[in-house]
Amino acid sequence: MPRFDALLDDFFYRPDEDVSGLVDFAAGSHGVTPQAVEEVPEEYLSFLLEDECYAVPLLAVREICKVPPLTEIPRAEPWLLGVMNLRGELLPVYDVKLRLRLAEVPARVAGPEALPAPRAARILVLKTEEGPAGVWVDSVQGVVRLKPSMLEAAPPGLRGERDCVVGLGRRGAQLYILLDPELALAS
Amino acid sequence: MRFKVLIVEDSKASREFIAATVEAVDEVEAISTSSGFEALKLLPRHRFDLIITDINMPDINGLELINFVKKNPNYRDVPLFIITTEGREQDRERGMALGAAEYLVKPFVAGSLEGLLRRYLKLP
Amino acid sequence: MTGTKALAEFVAEATEILDALGRDLLALDEVRGRDDADPERVNGLFRAAHSLKGLAGLFGQERIARLANGAEDLLDRLRLGRLRLDDAVLDSLVDALDTFQSLLAEASRGEETDGLSRRAEDMATRLARLGSPPRAAEEDPLERLELDPQVRAVFTEYEEHRLRENVRREVSLWRVRAAFDLSDFDQGLADLNARLKPLGEIISTLPSARPGGVNGIAFDLIFGAQVNGDALTSGLLGTPAELFQLPVRPVVGAMPVATAASPEGAPSPKARRGGGRKKAARAPPPSEETAPPAGEGAPSAPGVPPRMRAVPAVESAAPLASDAGGARPEAEPSLRSLTQTVRVDIGRLDGLINMVGELLLIKANLQRLAETTRQDGAIAVSKLFGQELARETRQLERKLEALQEGLLEARMVPVGQVFDKLARLVRRIARDAGKEIDFAISGGEVELDKLIVEELSDPLMHLIRNAIDHGAEPPEARLAAGKSRRAVVQLHAEQKGNHVVISVSDDGSGIDETGVRDVALARRLVTPAQAAEMSRRELLNLIFLPGFSTRDRVSELSGRGVGLDVVKNNLGNLSGIIDVWSERGRGTAFHLTLPVTLAIIRALVVGVSGRTYAVPLNSVLEILAVRPEDISTVERREVLDLRGQTLPFLRLARLFHLPERPVGRHFVVVVGLAQQRMGIAVDELHGQQDIVTKPLGGRLRSVRGISGATDLGNRRTVLVLDVAELLEEGIAQERRRA
Repeated sequence: MPRFDALLDDFFYRPDEDVSGLVDFAAGSHGVTPQAVEEVPEEYLSFLLEDECYAVPLLAVREICKVPPLTEIPRAEPWLLGVMNLRGELLPVYDVKLRLRLAEVPARVAGPEALPAPRAARILVLKTEEGPAGVWVDSVQGVVRLKPSMLEAAPPGLRGERDCVVGLGRRGAQLYILLDPELALAS
Repeated sequence: MRFKVLIVEDSKASREFIAATVEAVDEVEAISTSSGFEALKLLPRHRFDLIITDINMPDINGLELINFVKKNPNYRDVPLFIITTEGREQDRERGMALGAAEYLVKPFVAGSLEGLLRRYLKLP
Repeated sequence: MTGTKALAEFVAEATEILDALGRDLLALDEVRGRDDADPERVNGLFRAAHSLKGLAGLFGQERIARLANGAEDLLDRLRLGRLRLDDAVLDSLVDALDTFQSLLAEASRGEETDGLSRRAEDMATRLARLGSPPRAAEEDPLERLELDPQVRAVFTEYEEHRLRENVRREVSLWRVRAAFDLSDFDQGLADLNARLKPLGEIISTLPSARPGGVNGIAFDLIFGAQVNGDALTSGLLGTPAELFQLPVRPVVGAMPVATAASPEGAPSPKARRGGGRKKAARAPPPSEETAPPAGEGAPSAPGVPPRMRAVPAVESAAPLASDAGGARPEAEPSLRSLTQTVRVDIGRLDGLINMVGELLLIKANLQRLAETTRQDGAIAVSKLFGQELARETRQLERKLEALQEGLLEARMVPVGQVFDKLARLVRRIARDAGKEIDFAISGGEVELDKLIVEELSDPLMHLIRNAIDHGAEPPEARLAAGKSRRAVVQLHAEQKGNHVVISVSDDGSGIDETGVRDVALARRLVTPAQAAEMSRRELLNLIFLPGFSTRDRVSELSGRGVGLDVVKNNLGNLSGIIDVWSERGRGTAFHLTLPVTLAIIRALVVGVSGRTYAVPLNSVLEILAVRPEDISTVERREVLDLRGQTLPFLRLARLFHLPERPVGRHFVVVVGLAQQRMGIAVDELHGQQDIVTKPLGGRLRSVRGISGATDLGNRRTVLVLDVAELLEEGIAQERRRA
């Protein structure tokens, strides 16, 4: 709320004053802290989907957890695997493989006919505009730092449904397919 | 903290802004309350260096509080500011007549409260 | 404090102020046209506008601040007696409130549209232009009141005005002095205020300048009494109050008006200066004289300060009612009740309720343990232990129930909150629509969960608009139809078991079901064959279908693109259901059936195809065991015969596309809301349990038939069925197949 800031400035702030109390009071209302402009590598979390290496910005990942029991939602879209209970919070869990055309049918991982989840499988909890959501991944690889110069546009054949593949990251021999969490989880 | 300032104001938002202004000054602690009654209870419990009070409050009005403070030998030397609303001339005049030191018109102009605070607390 | 938090705080506080404004305005509206508006109400309004102005100013909400300034100005003139509270003023204030609410709504979204800015400006101008000439200046009645100038110096302008009014109306004025302990004087004062309020007007509360000792404090209350001295004395029995009447000189040139025989004739200078003194105490102080004849305490003519003496408690406890006719009838909320209210964020209550939900799980586990121990108690010691454990668990259960109930109660608010808001709008809508409406509210005291109450205002508003707009006929048409000129629109709430039924009804023209049918046909919502088979009730219910809008009759008031289907959906989100009744020429009524709370519910846990679901018990009517051969098919849809009545039957497994398992018998959960009934077939019953329902959240909001999820322990998430939606679907399926 910029008005609030302006108002505070108007009210109390003079450059030569000790305003520590005030700064505490107004902490957080400034929103943006100045960012350095030089090329800084961004951190991504990389993971495997059907043996392909994907990555999402680490900032978009809230947490990584083992696959809990999932409760299937009747009559939901196929790519919605179910809901999970994460410390009291209900989260939908999605199978983006369908969206990326890596699979034809969703994995049977929820409900009484569910197969046990493979040991390496994890749920990534991603932050999105519409709220947090879980994404099934076959395994988590690790954090990778990619500089803007390591990024390139995605070839047209690789974009998947809804253009959720936003580019490729190349670090040495390893290629990362970069996903946009918002687009990948757009309903 | 060297100084204690009592703030009596029934609007929560106003109160917090005033408290923040006051506490932005070095060595000043703000103790604030929403009611005149509560202020009467706080007075004997602290040694206040300054009192800031609103006029329109639900239990006792600010003028009554000023009168109480100024008539009481224990508190009468404590400087007292009135927070008034523009256009309420009579209330302001009465407050000054009762012994208030200064008045502030809501919403305050930049820095006015802080300047007055420094002046009355004899801070640089 | 972050920006959004500051904004949220502004919105919260402003909302509270506007709610208070609305309540007071409504109260004033009820005594419209009478000249005895409660001065405290008017002052309350002034204070609210004043606070709003200050608040908005601090948060840089200029539009609100400017309009609040105008409203404050107007209210100031009102409370100081410079303006008369006539219809124009009242209407303007009601409109101003409306404008404030729109402004606040925009502010909360961080918007500022030009249209609304202009409206606010116009409103402010309108408020500024209001004014009736002040009363002819006369001699200031206050000059006749003998009051220490030092006391007068601490009065605000308003208090002075009230004092003046009291003198002008020849109300007897008193100084009520009371000393209290510093630690709890506010309590004492609140008690004293509560006693005084019914007897007259407390004009000012002054902390006495005289130091009250280290731990004491004295107050002088300036009081305008509507009752005589005796009644006042007895009304204050048991309080530490002392009474002094304030002498008022008679109007120059006028004869003293004797309301009672003046025993002393002209006042003596001595009596005039000191005023009378009377102590209201449980027992007469020993130093005072013995009881005087009862007559001596009677009120004297204005201007004659009576001398009063203590009278024995028994005698002066004479019934107050005899002379309390002038007192205000309704008890004002006391100061105490204000300070006993705590504002709690609903999120915190939700947190506590979640906690209770977890405790309930632990309790269920304990119970199971206790049960196992008791039954398997092969050894005597363990059996005894088992009994002990079972007893303690029952104890825990009772306490948990109490805790749960307490928490749910804390969330309950009277539906009157939203009714009041609606009442204010009705007048304007009626005026704009050219209708004459009597709006009747009843059952405002019925309580519902706060979340539900908040969500109710839009659907109710829509229904009321409909009633005024489409239901009520213009006055001439009503007269022609042999009805009273004014139409009646009623808003009524009533608790029925676990549900609250809210009805919006009118005595207007009713809904023409053939018109409804024609529209539904024209919009291809039903086929002619279906329509031909439909009962009148079924036809009426077509108005809730999406895409149904009797547009040719929609005026600009209701024609805002929101149909009854939206109303129905909104209610569905609250697990509620809507029903319509209408008779041509007699009127229309909408009945909204809502659960009392959404937070903790008792649920029936059922199993279908290996899955577990919870069914809220408040909508379960009964449970049947049914063999496959009991299910019959009527017109290709499955039904059950329930005591001679045909009951629609829905297999949950089939509806949810789950693998159906062959079973020897079905359990049928008969659910019902309002008039609708349906049997839902499941495979197993797992028992009842208290559950805390969590909403599925933003991404899953569109899931049909599920209202939320709950935790049954062992990290097992169980979905809660949305009975209202399932009923809906069941009925819709019937309709489709028909």
